[in-house]
Amino acid sequence: MTERTANCLAKLDRMNKALRHEEPDRVPVSDFFWGNFLKRWRDEKELPEDTDIYAYYDLDWIVTVPNMDPHIKNFEIIREDAEEVLVRTGFEAVIRKKFADPMPEYVSFDTDTIEKAEAFEFDDPADDRRFFSAGDNQVAGVGDGFALNSPPWIETVKSLRPDFPVYGSQCEANEYMTRIIGGGNLLLWAGLYPEQFGHFVQRTNEWALEMLKAQIKAADGLIDGMVIWGDVAYRKDMFFHPDYWRKYYKPGLQAMVDVCHENNLPVIYHGCGNVKRIFEDFIEIGIEAYNPLESKAGLDVVDLRRKYGHQIAFCGNMDVIEWADYDKEQLKAVVLRKLNAAKGGGMIFQSDHSVPSNVSAENYEYVVNLVREYGQYPLQLGEHDIPDL
Amino acid sequence: MSSTLNTIYDAVLVGDMKTTSENVQKALDENVAVEDILNKGLISAMSEVGSRFEAGDYFIPEMLIAARAMSAGMEIIKPLLVGAGVEPIGKVAIGTVKGDLHDIGKNLVGMMMEGAGFEIMDLGVDVTPEQFVEAIKNGADIIAMSALLTTTMPSIETTIKAIEDANLRDSVHVLAGGAPVTQEFVDKIGADGYAADASAAARKAQELLGKD
Repeated sequence: MTERTANCLAKLDRMNKALRHEEPDRVPVSDFFWGNFLKRWRDEKELPEDTDIYAYYDLDWIVTVPNMDPHIKNFEIIREDAEEVLVRTGFEAVIRKKFADPMPEYVSFDTDTIEKAEAFEFDDPADDRRFFSAGDNQVAGVGDGFALNSPPWIETVKSLRPDFPVYGSQCEANEYMTRIIGGGNLLLWAGLYPEQFGHFVQRTNEWALEMLKAQIKAADGLIDGMVIWGDVAYRKDMFFHPDYWRKYYKPGLQAMVDVCHENNLPVIYHGCGNVKRIFEDFIEIGIEAYNPLESKAGLDVVDLRRKYGHQIAFCGNMDVIEWADYDKEQLKAVVLRKLNAAKGGGMIFQSDHSVPSNVSAENYEYVVNLVREYGQYPLQLGEHDIPDL
Repeated sequence: MSSTLNTIYDAVLVGDMKTTSENVQKALDENVAVEDILNKGLISAMSEVGSRFEAGDYFIPEMLIAARAMSAGMEIIKPLLVGAGVEPIGKVAIGTVKGDLHDIGKNLVGMMMEGAGFEIMDLGVDVTPEQFVEAIKNGADIIAMSALLTTTMPSIETTIKAIEDANLRDSVHVLAGGAPVTQEFVDKIGADGYAADASAAARKAQELLGKD
């Protein structure tokens, strides 16, 4: 078993207490970062290109990504030049990645009819290569950046484990749908072929559950929690009717969370957008914390804490637009107000999705330092204290 | 309203493409004015779809299949509209801004605007300011820009600047939307309108052209 530093064990205690709604020494803080932000951050602070932000700020947890592609295979490079690459991945989608742009473009999906979706076959979810071999995988390799031959997941876990609480990852159905059939057909087929599409969702979640079990087995005690990546909502509302989600998506998610809990792994669920209609469902499912709690979707940790008490922990909700645009006085007011939701534990401070390049290094660091200072328990929030929370 | 028009309306509302198409043809065979088929059958139904969506009773799948049904009906009457003197209520050039490759939101807005009677010039994704300027020169009454990322939002302002530099700002209305976009941001950068969702965008476009 990889030895952990005393500082890492302190971070783990901090995270676990927060997730159990106990007050640790201070509010945990970490985040997800866009690549262009990291570049800006390094440039503005004149740091070497390989400076790791998690280590630099000694952030409190980190997530890792095994090979979750439905088909384990190397990328097929269709075309590549200095500016972009066109690649087919193990989701059988063709993706165009312009290196200067933050997100890739899906050019085509092989699975473009409901019949093809019904016939779609997944590779072995427990294939050892997912966890123990280097190789190309879309979730880790084609997104904000572009990376070939991602290192073996277990080696990444082992390298981080001495210094950070390490979480594994499992995508649930909608993350697979957007990559296998595309967001457009996902939304159209939910309307045109609700049952057939729903069955594909269920089948996908059943497969993802087996992968989750295999990941936990492969980790053999080396991970401290699990992030389950969803996304069933956008700024205004859910993509589809909550009853549709409850029929076809929720049972699969419940099964994943149950397996994590059977293995003493807390779950942070990542789902963008306005999920107010099903927030109580997430509490019922028993996830430990919800992420990212997008401010732009009308979510606010103070309101959520007021409404739900300590039935669920929060991970996120710092508005990245405010983080970018506000001056120090405004930022302090925002941060200290949000820290009210951390009274009694139950909060990990992060952005409301991922820190973008609009945020300056100075503002990023200022907020982290605010959380470190004012997030010490017992919280002293001064004029920003909300007495009824 | 004729029972056939009612059938068209109801079919679009539930996304029944086959019934929509069949009854649009039936209405033509019954010598129902093509303008009535368009306005009282198809557009009227999409307006109700938009209302239900904004009220939270319809979600994106319901809106998509309704738009699909409406498009099927439109395909049948489109060749007849010009002859009947029915013109689009306006021309909208829509695109996702430079650096941004998301298209679902843009596509939904385009569908709802088409459903409201607009002619849509879909410029696609990663659209440069120059392409938007060109669209104005090609007759766009409204520029509708979408940005899904906070990092690409500045391209909306850059595009407005390019339109101003081309001395075309007074000849076009500028709409902006997308996940990180807010009314406050839109006001700050000098756009003419903001919409939080596809249905509201169609209504806003109508309002900007005085067609509401």
